[in-house]
Amino acid sequence: MFARIPTGLLALLLLLLSGLTNPSYVLASSQAEQQAAAFFSPPQEHTNNWAVLVCASRYWFNYRHMANTLGMYRTVKRLGIPDSNIILMLADDAACNTRNHFPATVFANADRKLDLYGENIEVDYRGYEVTVENFIRLLTGRVSPTLPRSKRLLTDSRSNVFVYMTGHGGNEFLKFQDNEEISAFDIADAFEQMWQKRRYNELLFMVDTCQANTMYSKFYSPNILATGSSELKENSYSHHNDADIGVAVIDSFTHYILQYMEGQNKTSKATMKDLFDTYDPARIKSHAGVRSDLYPRPLDQVRITDFLGAVSKVDVLPSDGRPVGAPEEIEEPLQVAEEVVLPLPTAESSSERVVMEPRPTGAEPLSVDQPVVFQGEKKSTLRAWGAAGAVLALVAWRLSAAS
Amino acid sequence: MPIRLPGALKGRSALLIPAFLLLLRFGLILSPLSPWLRDDHQLASPLTSFTRLKEGVWLFQNGIDPYHGGVFRHSPLTLALFSTVIPPIPLVSAFVWTAADGISAWSLLEIWRARISPKTDPAGGLMLASLYLANPYNFAPTIALSTSSLDNSLLLLALRFTVLQRASPAVLLLALLSFSSLPSVLLLAPLVMIILSGSRSATTIPEIDLKKAVRVVAEFAVYMAAFVGASTFVAGSWGWVLQTWGATVMLPDLTPNPGLWWYFFTEMFDHYRPFFLLTFSLHPLIYVAPICLKFQHDPLFAFFLLQGIISTFKSYPTLSDAGLYVSLIGLFPELYPYFRHPLVTGLLHLHAAVLLPLFHYLWLDAGTGNANFFYASTLVFGLANGATIVDSLWAGLRSTIGEKEGWDVVQL
Repeated sequence: MFARIPTGLLALLLLLLSGLTNPSYVLASSQAEQQAAAFFSPPQEHTNNWAVLVCASRYWFNYRHMANTLGMYRTVKRLGIPDSNIILMLADDAACNTRNHFPATVFANADRKLDLYGENIEVDYRGYEVTVENFIRLLTGRVSPTLPRSKRLLTDSRSNVFVYMTGHGGNEFLKFQDNEEISAFDIADAFEQMWQKRRYNELLFMVDTCQANTMYSKFYSPNILATGSSELKENSYSHHNDADIGVAVIDSFTHYILQYMEGQNKTSKATMKDLFDTYDPARIKSHAGVRSDLYPRPLDQVRITDFLGAVSKVDVLPSDGRPVGAPEEIEEPLQVAEEVVLPLPTAESSSERVVMEPRPTGAEPLSVDQPVVFQGEKKSTLRAWGAAGAVLALVAWRLSAAS
Repeated sequence: MPIRLPGALKGRSALLIPAFLLLLRFGLILSPLSPWLRDDHQLASPLTSFTRLKEGVWLFQNGIDPYHGGVFRHSPLTLALFSTVIPPIPLVSAFVWTAADGISAWSLLEIWRARISPKTDPAGGLMLASLYLANPYNFAPTIALSTSSLDNSLLLLALRFTVLQRASPAVLLLALLSFSSLPSVLLLAPLVMIILSGSRSATTIPEIDLKKAVRVVAEFAVYMAAFVGASTFVAGSWGWVLQTWGATVMLPDLTPNPGLWWYFFTEMFDHYRPFFLLTFSLHPLIYVAPICLKFQHDPLFAFFLLQGIISTFKSYPTLSDAGLYVSLIGLFPELYPYFRHPLVTGLLHLHAAVLLPLFHYLWLDAGTGNANFFYASTLVFGLANGATIVDSLWAGLRSTIGEKEGWDVVQL
């Protein structure tokens, strides 16, 4: 049988030699690599929301700071962030203070219609636990292994974090519990650590203290949007007093923000720009500021609920009678456009929010039934055709041979 | 000693049953049952899963090396085939898998005819083919589009050519098979023996034409080398070797399957891993020589036993391996009187068939069981396979002694 080497076998031997001697054929096209990279780490949308609400003051005469923070707490809870995703740091000495004429309550308004303390708040760090060290450890995640889960900031790279701080402050510092200070540099470094550890997708930093805008002046990490209540050398003022409680019950900046947020609910499409446009220095009695140079998206495209709420995204798929357990032909989430670049998910074209919008037209998800045609990947197809053809030819030849 | 199988089928109408079973397969693959079963751990292993095949094809067609990650473990030849000639779309896949099962059944029929003369038992072959198609061990993996059904087809087709004394196609198909299922390389030894001495049981030890044996083995080696070259050409580099053959030996993927390896290696300390991987991989090797030597007179039976051993001790088996082995018993009706515990073996298989999906569900879906439940059912499955092998071995040896009028065979 080996007396004459058939030509087909010779061709195959040549194929074999070429396969062995040539260098690697995989020149992964940069286009396809980009596409795959984009699939695995696409331009980010957040998938979960966290809030860190810090009241850095204690004592009865700082009642308004407690009210600020509890008002923010109520708002973010109302808009959907669960307690498990809220870290509330309070001195918590207002509601049950012996001076409180209305015990076990905290009000942010003189009409005393809305009790912010209620029966259902979860304070994670209370009393003397609200320290600079704990705050920075919380943000950076460098906590003791014995620290309970409810006290940890368990964010990931797709979390949008809302950090709200209130208390007494000054030029690039914030006073913590009449005892110590945190500086703007410390917070900036903590946020940078968060960025490097991929602990946030985007971050909204809101601060209501005197000279608050200086607190965000030192940030240098990307994806941070910051707003503060007053400029350098400016005080932030309380809004009004309650005659029966005897102290100021709310700060001006936070009061107007909460008032605006009372008009919003989970389905609100109001943007951050709408919120910031309501800043009126005459009303607030100080110049509230916004810092958005580190923030990539234009503010008129960022919804308030991206930070202050937890609005889930829902993908509504056509109902066509498939059984619940059947996973196939519903996947292929990769959208293939002709230009081989993934379309960036904008607020309009992204999958649906809680409100049912019609599914956007555009690139239909590629189903298994359509043939997959890509530009520029001819080489691997050619290789496959060549090898498949050779193998099938060999099989056909040997099967039909008489031997 | 031919046994007349009950309900012997006659004539053309007998073909209706396999035809119906094939049509049933075609229909069920296109039904919602198929996607539901597609990733079932008993039916599709990491080496045979259709979902992984689709993923690999997609990656390949986008210029990304599918062997860079740990997802795709099919051979590059399968990759080439499914990214060109056979697109993995439902209609084509249904046709391909049905055709593969049809080829398996037809090959089984041909093997039966070569082994047992149709004059003594005209309908037995068709009955055997129908039973192969109806066996749920083979039926379910086909519905799940597991490429182990295609492996079965390759094996049975290779065996068919072997019993017809056509060495070239036989070793070619075996070489092709060894790319999807590395332990099947061991079947080369009995295959060569069948080519040399025929498919029937002989009364004397047949003479071996050594030159011809060497030629056949050399041809196998040439085909292997050619396919290795073609695979490297398709894959673009040598990474496929570690991901496909390497997976069989190194067990990187501990997805549960009905085999005996995965649980053992989930609880293994890393410093023992190489030793046990070595022993588990080399284990089937020790059976080749003794079985082939003991059954020189009946190399087809040696093939059958070795296939059983491979099915039982594979690193990533599926139910179709057991299905193939159990179906091959029908080729040896002379064993039936000599089985010592057929009821026990049958019940073990029944137990395993019931327990495997049940405990899998309890462990992974309901959450009321744990992995040990499923592991226990794989042990029962392994015991069932082992009992089949051992009983067949005994029956094979006993049947060579035969019967003589007025004499009793006793064991001293």
